Amino acid sequence: MPSWPLLRLRNQPDSSDRTPPARSDKPRATVETLRTVRRLAAVCPRAAAAGLAPDQTLAEARAICPDLVVLDADPAADRAALASLAAWAERYTPLAAPDPPDGLLLDITGCEHLFGGETALAADLSGRLERFALPHRLAIAGTPAAAWALARAATARGLVIRIKPGTEAAALAPLPTALLRLDTRIVASLRRLGLRSIGELGRQPRGDLTARFGPLPTLRLDQALGRAPEPIAWPRPPQPWESRLAFVEPIGTADDLGRTLDHLTADLCARLEAAERGATRLVATFLRLDGTRPTLAIATALPSHDAPRLAKLLREKLPTLDPGFGIDAAILAAETTEPRHPPQSTLAPLSPATTPSLAATPSLAATIDTLSNRLGSDAIWRPAPHDSHIPERATTRIPPLAQAPAWERDPSAERPIRLLRRPEPIEATALVPDEPPILFRWRGALHRVRAATGPERIAAEWWRRTPDDTQPESNRIRDYYRVEDSNGARFWLFRLGLDGTPRWFLHGLFG
Amino acid sequence: MPLSAPLSPIETLRARLATLQPQIGRGVWRFGDPRVDDCLPGGGLPRGVLHEIAAGGIEAETAAVTAGFLACLLTGLLAGLAPTGDIFWIAPTTDLHPPGLLPYGLNPARLIQIETRDDTETLATLEAVLRSGSAAAAIGETGRLGRIPARRLQLACLKGGTTGFALRRWPYGKPAAGEDPTAAVTRWDIAPAPSAMPAPSGTSDRDPGPARWRVTLVHARGGIEGSWIMESTASGDPHAPHPFRVVAELAPAQAAQSTRLVG
Repeated sequence: MPSWPLLRLRNQPDSSDRTPPARSDKPRATVETLRTVRRLAAVCPRAAAAGLAPDQTLAEARAICPDLVVLDADPAADRAALASLAAWAERYTPLAAPDPPDGLLLDITGCEHLFGGETALAADLSGRLERFALPHRLAIAGTPAAAWALARAATARGLVIRIKPGTEAAALAPLPTALLRLDTRIVASLRRLGLRSIGELGRQPRGDLTARFGPLPTLRLDQALGRAPEPIAWPRPPQPWESRLAFVEPIGTADDLGRTLDHLTADLCARLEAAERGATRLVATFLRLDGTRPTLAIATALPSHDAPRLAKLLREKLPTLDPGFGIDAAILAAETTEPRHPPQSTLAPLSPATTPSLAATPSLAATIDTLSNRLGSDAIWRPAPHDSHIPERATTRIPPLAQAPAWERDPSAERPIRLLRRPEPIEATALVPDEPPILFRWRGALHRVRAATGPERIAAEWWRRTPDDTQPESNRIRDYYRVEDSNGARFWLFRLGLDGTPRWFLHGLFG
Repeated sequence: MPLSAPLSPIETLRARLATLQPQIGRGVWRFGDPRVDDCLPGGGLPRGVLHEIAAGGIEAETAAVTAGFLACLLTGLLAGLAPTGDIFWIAPTTDLHPPGLLPYGLNPARLIQIETRDDTETLATLEAVLRSGSAAAAIGETGRLGRIPARRLQLACLKGGTTGFALRRWPYGKPAAGEDPTAAVTRWDIAPAPSAMPAPSGTSDRDPGPARWRVTLVHARGGIEGSWIMESTASGDPHAPHPFRVVAELAPAQAAQSTRLVG
C-alpha cells in the first residue's frame, strides 16, 4: 500500500483544518524534522506525480509544488494503524504480520482453500481493501521476499500478481535490484557496476559480491529464491489449538455470538478430545469491524474438553462483550492444554481421610470453574496449614482442587474459630500484670471474665523483621489467654510486650 | 384403608401433612437425645434441606457461637454419610479461622472457602453450589435472606441433595432484620452459655470447660419448638460417638405457651 501514512491520515476523522476532505485533491506530504532540516517523509501519488519524493527538503518541495499540503509525520501512529490492519487480516490466516512502513505479510499456506483458492482469496482481500478505499497491490509468491518485490513492482492499483512456486527466479529477474530490500548505497554501487536487475545480480559470482558488498545482497537473493530462511515476527505466535470462524456479514446479536461460541468450542473440543488433551485456559477473540479485538477468557481447574460446559462458561461472560458495529470473525484458542486421560475406574475407594481431593469429581471441578469464572479465581480457595506460630500466618490458601493437606490439632493450643484480621485493642483490668484480666471492654461492651486459660506465649518471628526496626524483641512477645465471660462467650486475648504497662488486644473468638 | 390401630388426632394430622408435602431431604441425623429429636420432623435433623442458624446481639455480628455450633453439627451430620466431599463456606468476610474447626472434630482439609462481595453474591453462589450437588454441605453467611431467596435455596438443596445452611450474620453491626419467615426447614437461634468449670472458684484463674450453647429451635417445619443447653463433646476425634450432649432442657414460659404444630 503505497503512501500508507497519508492514507491513514486521510481515513482518520480529523477535527483540525489540516486535512479537510474537501481539500484532499491537493498534493499532500508528511514531513519529519531531522537535525533542524524539514524533510518529506511520505508523499501522496499526486505529489509524486508532481515530482516530489521522500527525503526532499520541505523548501525544495514547496518550490516545486507551491500548493503542497504539509502534515507532520507520526511513525508510531502509522505502525499502530498498520498493526491493526494486520489484525484485521487475520480473518484470512492466523499468520498476518504488519510489514512497516507500508506493507502487510500474510502466510496463506493451507488457508487458501477456505476461500476457494489463492486467486479467490486475493480477489476477496482486494475487494475488501477497495471498500476501505485503500489503494493496494497484492502479490502471491512462494517466498516472502519475492512477494514483497513483486507487490512493489506492480504499477496498477488493485493488481494481483500471482506466480507459481519455483518460478521466483524467472519472475524476479527483470526487476530492479532495489526491490531486494537492499539499502540505497548498495543499490547505487551496483548500478555503477552495471548491475540493474535482479537477474543480472544473480549471475554474478557469489564470493565476489560478498567480498565487495558484505553478506546482504546474496542473502536477500537467497531469501527471494527460497534458498535461505526468512524469519518473520508474527504478532501472535502460531497456536496449535485454535478454531476460527469468519462471517460473510458482520454479526452482533447475543444469540449469534452465543451460537458462534458453541460452534467454536465444539470444533476445538473435538480436536482436543481426539488428541486426548484438555484445555485449562480458553480465550475467545472477536475481530470487530473497527479493528479492535475484544476477548473473553475462561480458565478451568482441571483440563477439560467438555464442549457444552466450556461453551456455557464462555457464554456467561458474553454480556461483558461490546460487539460495536459488528464482528467479522471469531477465534477460540486454547492457550494452555494438558494431557487428559479418560478417568480410570479404581478398584477400591480411596482412603477419604488422607486424600479427599483425589476424589475430586468432575462435577466438583465444574462447580469450581463456574464459580471462579464468576467471582475470580482469587475468591475461592482451600485452606492449608502453614508452618508458623503466628496465628495470622498459620494458614495459607491453595487452589481448591489441590491435594488437601493434613491438619494437626494441638489440644494445648486451641485456636479460635473467628480470627480478627488485625487484633483490636481493648481496655483490660488485671489484678496482677502476669494474670489474665478480670474485666475488659471491647466494642463498647463490658465483659466480666469468669474463666481463663493461659498464657500461651507466642514470640514474633525475628527473621521477618526489617533491619531498621529497633523495637526490642521483648516488646513483640504476645501472651495469649482463652477467656470466658459471664455469658459464656469465649475470647482470645493477648498481652503485648513484657516491659512497661501491658497493652491488651482481642484477636479472636471461640464458638 | 383399614388401620390396625386408631391414631390420635395429632398423628392423623401428621400423617396427612406427610402426604401433602413432598418427601423432603435424604434421611435425618439424630441428636441422640429424645428431648431434641422429638421436636424435629422425622425424629432428627433432615439432610439435604436448608437450615437457618441465627444469633442475637453481638453474636449476630461476630457469628462465633453460630459457627462453633455449626461446626459441631456438621461433624455429626457428615460423620456416617459422606466420608468424602467438600464443605463450601461462602462469606463476604474471611475471618473464619480453619484451625479453629479442629476442636469440633471437623477437618479443615475438607473446607473450600469462597469470598463474595455482598449478600446477593453469597446467596447466588450458595445456590449454585447446592444445585450442583457436588458438595457435602454448603454454608452461606448472609445478613439478608428474603422469602424468595430462601425458597430458591431450599429448591436447590432438594435438587442437589446437599444440606445447606444459611448462617445469619450482620458483620458490621447493622440492625438485625425482623423475623421474616423463610422457607428454611429448621431455624435455630444460638447463644453462648456459661461452661461447666471443674470447680467453682472466686478467682478467674480457672480453665473453662467444653463449650456450651443455649440452643433454641425457633421453627421446624413439621416439628415443634424447643430450647436446650447443649455441650460440645467433640474432642477433635472424627470418630467420637456424638458431638453434642444435651445438658438441660429449657422450658421457658413463652416456649411452653407457644408450643404448636408448625406445618
